[in-house]
Amino acid sequence: MRSVSEPVDVVTSDEGKVFDIELEVNILAENQRLALENKRRLDAKSIHAIDVMGSVGSGKTSLIKAMISSLKKSSRIAVIEGDVTTTIDADLIASEGVPTVQINTGKECHLDANLIRKALDRISLDKLDLIFIENVGNLICPAEFPLGSDKRLVVISVTEGPYMVLKHPMMFMGADVVAINKTDLAQAMGVSPEKLSADVAKINPRAITISTSCKNGLGVGEVIRALGLNRS
Amino acid sequence: MHEFSIASMIVDTLVDLAKKQNAKRVLEVHLQIGQLRALSAEQVRFSYGILVKRTILDGSKLLIEEVPAAVHCSACGYDSKLELKDEMSYHFALPSMVCPQCGMALSINGGDECTISKVTLELPGTGKNGRNEREG
Repeated sequence: MRSVSEPVDVVTSDEGKVFDIELEVNILAENQRLALENKRRLDAKSIHAIDVMGSVGSGKTSLIKAMISSLKKSSRIAVIEGDVTTTIDADLIASEGVPTVQINTGKECHLDANLIRKALDRISLDKLDLIFIENVGNLICPAEFPLGSDKRLVVISVTEGPYMVLKHPMMFMGADVVAINKTDLAQAMGVSPEKLSADVAKINPRAITISTSCKNGLGVGEVIRALGLNRS
Repeated sequence: MHEFSIASMIVDTLVDLAKKQNAKRVLEVHLQIGQLRALSAEQVRFSYGILVKRTILDGSKLLIEEVPAAVHCSACGYDSKLELKDEMSYHFALPSMVCPQCGMALSINGGDECTISKVTLELPGTGKNGRNEREG
């Protein structure tokens, strides 16, 4: 016969001990770790990577295309295209004759470091100097997810109205270079690129802001220089 | 927009932690969100509520603390909370990374966190004095 003092009663199992555990788990750390891994992997091959972010329809693909066109004689370039769905942008870029990997995020509103890691597996990194990563068109979420790039280029355009910068300060706080695109339409839109540029300077005085027009090639060379991509 | 994916990372992390601790239930979760993170506390909470269903976190209380942004100027040594300009015409606050003291660029010194800082777990009882025994 068992002693009553043995710890097997049902009541005890219903009663729990309550513990507070103090910790510091950074939720974004996993993405940051993978971003750093991507960065090391690219650095080891001396490959520059540019994260191109910006609003939907601001001209990210056109600007990348224009930069490739000007750089492809001197640099070996690949492009990672992020979109919710379709390969429209990847097909456009591929017409420049550079290797292109499409990432379809399905439902996600941004690229993350893990998706870039997978995309890098599909590119032969041995024969490369430069990768453009075109993020999903969105001025909010991509700012939260570093990918492991060297520089972040944000593209906005005058057709989005005069308040694009002020309305999305977080995106511009992390930008190295900002292109204000479609300046050929500035007058028709009644939007001042200078005012947009001043707004960027207020939020992030470190960012270099350049007025561009992919239609007539204005400013494309300056963006290339600001990103440190010009090879002499 | 990405609050759902952030909330699912939070839930995955906590489910793992609760399993490792052999917890019966998770009672409270303390989350710190920096002012500079583009994360809406309300949307994180909403997503969390959906994601915890049928997990060990079901019924847990999510407490969210907003951490103010802090900035530092390496040029003049200015240290402060980030100055937010109320631009009433836009109905939002605009952070400026220009040092109000010397006009140079500021760097961020806090307010960019998204951290689980404390979790209260219920572990299987070991005796009649077990309940509500809190340990740090």
